[in-house]
Amino acid sequence: MAHKSLADVFVDGARKGFNIGVSSILPNVLMAFAIIQILAVTGLLKILGNLFTPVMAVFGLPGEAVMVLISAWLSMGGGIGVAASLYSAGTLTNSHVTILLPAILLMGAQIQYMGRLLGTAAVQTRFYPILFGICIANALVAMLIMRFFA
Amino acid sequence: MNTEKTVTNVQPDVKVPIAGYIALIFAIIFFSGILGSAKGWLSAFDFNVINGKFGLIQAAKPVTFIGKGGVGAKAGFLFALSLIPSVMLALGIVEVVEHLGGLKAAQKLLTPILRPILGVPGIAGLALVSSLQSTDAGAGMTRALREEDVITEKEKTIFCAFQFSAGAPITNYLSSGAALFSFLTVPIIVPLGLIFVMKVVGANVMRLYLNKVVKEDI
Repeated sequence: MAHKSLADVFVDGARKGFNIGVSSILPNVLMAFAIIQILAVTGLLKILGNLFTPVMAVFGLPGEAVMVLISAWLSMGGGIGVAASLYSAGTLTNSHVTILLPAILLMGAQIQYMGRLLGTAAVQTRFYPILFGICIANALVAMLIMRFFA
Repeated sequence: MNTEKTVTNVQPDVKVPIAGYIALIFAIIFFSGILGSAKGWLSAFDFNVINGKFGLIQAAKPVTFIGKGGVGAKAGFLFALSLIPSVMLALGIVEVVEHLGGLKAAQKLLTPILRPILGVPGIAGLALVSSLQSTDAGAGMTRALREEDVITEKEKTIFCAFQFSAGAPITNYLSSGAALFSFLTVPIIVPLGLIFVMKVVGANVMRLYLNKVVKEDI
């Protein structure tokens, strides 16, 4: 490690970034775009959007934004991908994306992290519900706060 | 979405080279976006400036290679491809900062405040800093702390509440999150700052719950 030049260190990190990009971000984002396309062509996106309009309005967001949160819960990359997809379709504006970004991370990838974090650290399973609840509450509060900045 | 890091043992007393503090300050400024609209040489200290932009394909209305109006898997692929330079640049810089001791500096600065803000002993500082980069490294080190009996079961549970919300935030924010940076209406440090605040708030909700509702020793 001591013999590496800073350029080598940077290249190592950039390589990690490439691998994450190709093996994780690309498939996750592709899946998110595919899901949104399925929801769009079947008309389900519109239905979901209408259904969640009153709830999401609290956070200054259109109903369709609920899809960002649902997919973020399964995978952060998915949530980001859905947000990008809805943005390019004109459903979400710059302010909407700004409101959603912290929430995507705060409640992101919970299903994966249940195993990778709570399982690995051997957290007692009786605390799982409150841990999930805290993350979702964190995300909701963050959206309310971001309304003032966005 | 995490880069694996080897789980190392707990080192409560770290020596931080001065370069570490400089690197940490540099990283905070670089990723904060505060110099994004600076004029002249100062703008070199901004992530988005150095990240640059794709050239535009000259059509009636110029567009990047992603084009306009794409949908579905194909649009997703091109969009994801357009993110990879940001991720590579961000993780390259993070690697350099880590190499120079920037993360050790962060650990040193965090250690004395862990007890008051999280109710977790300072010895968990290394695990905390690692958990910001990799969920798996954080989880493994937290487990080791408990097995070595340097944190209690209650402290471990509070610490996990901190890690569980927005796992590996630095890596995830700078990789996946970078996809949305160009759409943001605020400097990129604002959402990240809020994420940190909410992580601490969440951990304290857990702390309160364990102290006031569960009460018994867990």
